[in-house]
Amino acid sequence: MGLDAHDEPRRIANRVLATLLVASLAGAVLLPFAAMAPNRLVSGESVSLLTALRAWQVLGLAALAGALALACLVRPLGERRGARLTLVAAPLALLLTLYGLGDYAQRALTDASPAARVSQGAAFWVLVFCTSLMIVDAFQRLGASLWVRSGYGLLVIAAVAALFAAGTFNALSILREYFNIEDAFVAQFVTHLTLVGLALAPTLAIGLPLGLLAHRRPATRGILFSVLNVFQTIPSIALFALLVAPLSALGDAVPWLGALGVAGIGAAPAILALILYSLLPIVRNTQAGFAGVDPATREAARGMGMTRRQILWRVEVPLALPVILSGLRIVTVQAIGLTVVAALIGAGGLGAFIFQGLGQYAIDLVLLGAVPTIALAVVADFLLQILVAVSRPAGAG
Amino acid sequence: MIELQGLTKTYGDKTVVSDISLRVERGEFSVLIGPSGCGKSTTLRMINRLIPLTQGRILLGDEDVTRLPAEQLRRRIGYAIQSIGLFPHWTVADNIAVVPNLLKWPRARIASRVDELLDLFHLDAGEFRDKYPHQLSGGQAQRVGVARALAADPEVLLMDEPFGAVDPLTREVLQNEMRRVHEQTGTTVIFVTHDMDEALKLASRIALLDAGRLVQYDRPIELLTAPAESFVSDFIGKADLGLKLLSRRWVHQYQQAATMSSEAPHHWETDAQGHPTCLHGGRPTTDVAPSVAVTDDWTATPGMTMKEALSRMVWYRVGVLPVIDDAGRLVGEVTLEGVMGRQP
Repeated sequence: MGLDAHDEPRRIANRVLATLLVASLAGAVLLPFAAMAPNRLVSGESVSLLTALRAWQVLGLAALAGALALACLVRPLGERRGARLTLVAAPLALLLTLYGLGDYAQRALTDASPAARVSQGAAFWVLVFCTSLMIVDAFQRLGASLWVRSGYGLLVIAAVAALFAAGTFNALSILREYFNIEDAFVAQFVTHLTLVGLALAPTLAIGLPLGLLAHRRPATRGILFSVLNVFQTIPSIALFALLVAPLSALGDAVPWLGALGVAGIGAAPAILALILYSLLPIVRNTQAGFAGVDPATREAARGMGMTRRQILWRVEVPLALPVILSGLRIVTVQAIGLTVVAALIGAGGLGAFIFQGLGQYAIDLVLLGAVPTIALAVVADFLLQILVAVSRPAGAG
Repeated sequence: MIELQGLTKTYGDKTVVSDISLRVERGEFSVLIGPSGCGKSTTLRMINRLIPLTQGRILLGDEDVTRLPAEQLRRRIGYAIQSIGLFPHWTVADNIAVVPNLLKWPRARIASRVDELLDLFHLDAGEFRDKYPHQLSGGQAQRVGVARALAADPEVLLMDEPFGAVDPLTREVLQNEMRRVHEQTGTTVIFVTHDMDEALKLASRIALLDAGRLVQYDRPIELLTAPAESFVSDFIGKADLGLKLLSRRWVHQYQQAATMSSEAPHHWETDAQGHPTCLHGGRPTTDVAPSVAVTDDWTATPGMTMKEALSRMVWYRVGVLPVIDDAGRLVGEVTLEGVMGRQP
């Protein structure tokens, strides 16, 4: 039997991991790991990973890279054991990268001027991004349950939080920026969450009944979905802008609404726009959730003598809930992101730092708005995933 | 007892069910049958008012329930459908307990009723109580569906082609089980099917419908032997009328004493426990061995239909079958002559 290229035995069991590993190594070698600048406004001098990290840290990363390389191969570990090894090595590499950066910043700034800044470079981001993806990929390969993922995620988050608490990152430019504006940050963070909450509550109050209506009266579906679809297609900045004129007119014309804060700029148009964006997924998922209930189940419930209300609450809602909550998950993550743009019309929130930073060309300020927004979205997504899993009826398998 | 009086359903100017009156006595197993679109399902669904009736009255016992709120009425009437419709988010026990729960029975009474019903359908309560519907086979799910319909001891049990979607083997088993359950519980049943064999097997009375009209409502034998009009015999099918008739006859009706004397044209040999072991003679053709060992495949039981008994005779080429009891002991025999000799 002749051997051609196709018959060659496979050596790499996990091509995704191999690609990520090559990308991290290339990034670590070719891109700057950190930047050192005399003050916050000038872009700094690049520092490579090899110069920034201590010898033991470089050796540690190299050893972990070796372990990850082993985890890709068919032999001797294979895919599943390789994935388990990845779940140990990748977070260690992530933590070591984080610690290494903080440690470098502390050392670099000991005899520098107080205005000097150390910030993270491209190689740092590549390493953080690639190691996170390695973890996600390993979980997918293991088919791990949500509970295992949650526990693991909490562990990694706790480790990162411990680094923060130990002051590892205090010397970094982004953290120094944070200490400068700590009070404003907390206030804007709360504003951000408040905006999202104030948008989601009415969305549910309006969207759930509309979804039920769309399910029970198919004739309403066409018009309802096309109207909601129109809102989805308007770009967010345009929608915010479009609401300015009518809302300021309304606030002026109806004094008590004005007193409540209805105005052309600020929270009112932001919340309204968020509601308009969030309605479609909620209405559509609610309708889909109810439509997914087997008609035979409904017929049986009716035949057994359940009232309409009993059928709704005991049969239809429990069976539709996972799909409805998936809709809530979509809009929550979407609203957390969109609220960033709301800062443009004076609604506040984490977006305020992003636009302020962009205006001042202060990248750290931009990141101070962006990173927590991303973290918030990831956490919200995760919590709602758990909620969806919990709401899934035991019998659904 | 349930009585339908002049039940009529019209959609616009289209009449789907036209003036159907029939009375189902307590404990009777009444089957509504007819070709597709004859209105049998509509009639059934009017009884528990899943479809509002255009005209007519329904008496449950002596009570006119036509004006009773639909939900209250439905809790007094069992309902089992082809697609079963078990609640996927509830366990078997919760599914069976639906109507008792709606009627606010005490918890202990519900629990014991659930076990009793699982027991009735030969489902081990310990094993099945906490299972979810998706863990059941089609046949088990349908048993649970019927158990659910029987849970609150309904005055009538309505069944809409309950065994239409299961495989033929399971259907046969479920039909036998339904006969047994009906005999044990004595529940009044109204059962819709389009399968004449199923109707003949289960019914104590058959209502044949055509185009929304009640053509004949009679005992199965009458339907076979005294059709009210040509539609009846056309629907039943003339080709296998004889076999249809035998499907309403039971082995115990034809059973006679087993011939044990070696002088007779055929006789049985039994072992010490009385199990039949061998048949000597009794074979209608001469190209086969005159003596043949008895196997389980060609024995008959008193509850077997004569159609099945005849089928076994033909297949195993014997003119006589041993009738055995639950312990497998010989208690009698049925013969080919017997099948021929008895007038319907």
